[in-house]
Amino acid sequence: MSAEADVVRRPSGPDSEPTPRKRVRLNEQLRTTGQVGVMIAPTTLWLFFLLVLPLIMMTLLSFRSGSFTAEDSAFTLSNYQRFLQDASFQRLMLRSLWVALLVALYSVVLAYPLAYYLAFRAKRRQNLLLTLLIIPAWTSFLLRVLAWRIILGSDGMLNSLLLLLGLTQETLPILLYSPTAVIVTLVYIWIPFAALPIYVNLQRIDLGLLEGAADLGATPIQAFMRITLPLSMPGIIAALLFVFIPTVGEYVTPALVGGPSGQLIGNIIWDQFARALNWPMGSVLSLMMLVLVLLPLLLTSRLVRLSGLLEG
Amino acid sequence: MKKLSPTAYLFPIVMVAAVLTGCSAGAGDATGATEPLLVLEWTGYQMTEFPQFFQPFTDKYGDNLDQVIEYSFFGDDAEALTKMQTGFEADLVHPCNSWWQLYVNAGLLQPIDTSRLEYWDGIPDELKQLGQFNGEQYIVPWDWGYDSLLVRADLVPEMPDSWADLWDPQYARHIAIWDSAEQGYVITALALGLDPWNTTPEEDEMIKQKLLDLKPNVLTYWLDFTEVYNLSSSGDAWIVANAWQDAYGYLLDEGYDVEYLDPAEGRLSWVCGYGINANSTNLDLAYEFLNAAIAPESMAALGNEYLYGFSNFDAIPLVDENVAKLLNFTDLDTFFANTVFYQPLTEEKRQAMSDIWTEVKAAQ
Amino acid sequence: MQEKQRLLTPGAIYFWATVLFLYLPILLLVLFSLNDSVLLAFPLKGLTLHWYQELLEAGEMLQAAQNSLVVGVISSLIATAIGTMAAIAVTRLNFPGRDVFLSIAAVPMITPSIVLGVALLILFRQTINLPLSLGLITLSHVVISIPTTMLIVMARLAGFSKNLEEAAMDLGANYWVTLWRVILPLSLPALIAAFLTAFTASFDEYAMTTLITGTDVTLPVYLYSLLRFPRRLPVALSMGSVIIVASAILIVVAEWLRRVDFRGGAKEETA
Repeated sequence: MSAEADVVRRPSGPDSEPTPRKRVRLNEQLRTTGQVGVMIAPTTLWLFFLLVLPLIMMTLLSFRSGSFTAEDSAFTLSNYQRFLQDASFQRLMLRSLWVALLVALYSVVLAYPLAYYLAFRAKRRQNLLLTLLIIPAWTSFLLRVLAWRIILGSDGMLNSLLLLLGLTQETLPILLYSPTAVIVTLVYIWIPFAALPIYVNLQRIDLGLLEGAADLGATPIQAFMRITLPLSMPGIIAALLFVFIPTVGEYVTPALVGGPSGQLIGNIIWDQFARALNWPMGSVLSLMMLVLVLLPLLLTSRLVRLSGLLEG
Repeated sequence: MKKLSPTAYLFPIVMVAAVLTGCSAGAGDATGATEPLLVLEWTGYQMTEFPQFFQPFTDKYGDNLDQVIEYSFFGDDAEALTKMQTGFEADLVHPCNSWWQLYVNAGLLQPIDTSRLEYWDGIPDELKQLGQFNGEQYIVPWDWGYDSLLVRADLVPEMPDSWADLWDPQYARHIAIWDSAEQGYVITALALGLDPWNTTPEEDEMIKQKLLDLKPNVLTYWLDFTEVYNLSSSGDAWIVANAWQDAYGYLLDEGYDVEYLDPAEGRLSWVCGYGINANSTNLDLAYEFLNAAIAPESMAALGNEYLYGFSNFDAIPLVDENVAKLLNFTDLDTFFANTVFYQPLTEEKRQAMSDIWTEVKAAQ
Repeated sequence: MQEKQRLLTPGAIYFWATVLFLYLPILLLVLFSLNDSVLLAFPLKGLTLHWYQELLEAGEMLQAAQNSLVVGVISSLIATAIGTMAAIAVTRLNFPGRDVFLSIAAVPMITPSIVLGVALLILFRQTINLPLSLGLITLSHVVISIPTTMLIVMARLAGFSKNLEEAAMDLGANYWVTLWRVILPLSLPALIAAFLTAFTASFDEYAMTTLITGTDVTLPVYLYSLLRFPRRLPVALSMGSVIIVASAILIVVAEWLRRVDFRGGAKEETA
């Protein structure tokens, strides 16, 4: 890939004069800028009608007292007040952020060696092994979480195994229906996905740098710490965000394996829309969650701009 | 060396997509003079898979069932109500009784002309009344069941005998209750000796506090009936609250030492039934459907298959004996006396219950 | 790079251990799909193919699977197409509002699916009175996949400079020809990756989809509704097993195809 970067055509002759070439390129640029519209139009339309507009409607809904009847449409801040006054909503929100962060960290830490192996050691079998990692993701997410419920249950596999090995005297029901179960299950789901951005990033590292380091006397560990790891930072950050953000709003896993202490804000939001039919309150909670998720995003984009990931 | 151009890839993909689209479009075509009946239904009752639940209807329409009836499924009453309220034009909907009032108040249903129902008289008055609002019959009751405590007799140190026993610390972390605002609220009110459907705000506060007190005892809030079986059979939960009698029946069959209680405060019962959309004009088919639904042979099939109660008591002689026992049909006199039916909710009540439940779930 | 010992490097051990860990629950599912009992618990009650037989007759489940397939393929094709175009515009052409555009394009990624689902439901049913259908679900799945397709293609495009395009244009090709003959073929692996990623997301999408589902259901929605009836669960497991095997075969075949056709570009794939 880096081979292309080195291809800089320098034709000889009159074309090599900078001025005529620049003029040609500028004309090209102006013409193609006109065509930018065509390139981004479909996506823009899609984003506007099926993303921006619905979100605006949802924001409007957050200021109503009810969802369906005419008298519900009066403007009110009561839902926002309820959120600000209810400490349990706020604590649950923070706990969800914390759980999501843990899941992201564990997933990335566990996925990094996988990505490393794929990028540097797997040679020609890279893509095959990568797809091997991805295939589990094609099974229903629901069924996989159910499978974990079986594993973690008190007559489940894990317990039977521990009993068999004599590590525990009696079954441990605490494995299931706890925040731990939620984290374990989510990490399991996310590891393959966390490996992807890291792998893509590692792949683009110029091996010449590592060889150069070796030539200069660096040990493999030094080379890793001083070269590979820093260069893979964009991928790591991308992987963290990739896992963190959807996990904040996760509700299926907590509902199935979380128990009373493992519920997350996503469950409450889901309840508002699907059970309690309190759409305005659900809209408020969703908006608050979006705001809280955007903050770390803005922070990290200052530290490592998204373009950094692109320029490798 | 010539590489394959991108078109070489796009072509087969597009072809496959076109073929698949063609297939599904073909399958969705409905021909025929009348519109098919659109039923907003729980999964598990569709006559395409369970023709015996609507025997006369399936007998009449035989192989053309797909052209006569269409289903849209929901998993939750709230989901169904949302769909109807946002304009989904189903002809028939199958909600459960706490929600019936909300449907009527929102003007979603048209009154039922009971003279068009051949088997209407087989339904006991108490059940009929549940579906009456403002003097009109809006719902045809169809299926019902009990809501009680399912207990692993071999695991509990002491046999509970009331809803209030759920709070007993000796069962800590071995209780599972339904993740449902209404159910949680009602059993707590009963445990406190209150009338769940007539409370003051102070009493509501008591109920909320009591639910918060229950949290340490709760292993999990179960979501669906698969969980009920698994929780009880694995022994993770010694007591499963708000379990239905079918769970009891299946676990007994599998050889587990389970009991299904008659709590001191009374066994709860849910009832579900069919209502006709206020805007529906597909009435001939709708009444054929309803008639078939409450025909004794259909009702007996429902009972035998799912161990559910059914509204047409004329069907009682047709069900298996053990099913009749399970449903307490062998003792009809006390049946209505000992059963606490869920009452229809108003929007305020429903909101109040939801708000309490939300705060209980959100609390640490 | 030097050749290390073949199989037993720590990296390899870790990789295969993780793969085992990833597949274990799935193998469990397959195991229980062969178990002669409705309950998902040990000990096993005996082997049977009964559930697979039921699967063949489970018309609705198969219809739901087909729906998911159609929705997935179409929405992924659209998302890949428009996402690629947008990615090219963003990386190659500097235009005013580029950053705003990128930020908005990223929003589906930072919005929980359930929120998207409700927002879309409000739009479809309250704002415009549209009947819910698979078509709307397809359109909605496109939105979810726009950020990922863009990201994947952008990452790929960043890997090779503009010089090739400029060279082509210097040689007289207009922009569209350059796009078709230069940029797209070079980014084809990314396009395929984007398509597969979008398809995976769509095929398994539940949280948003369930809120905007009408008469026709996708597979995840159908499976979730089956949870109410434990007797149907083993059939669901057999469906899951079939999907694993089918997708495994599909991916291996796709991989083989790709390898065969990219002999010329193989250098770019490996490290």
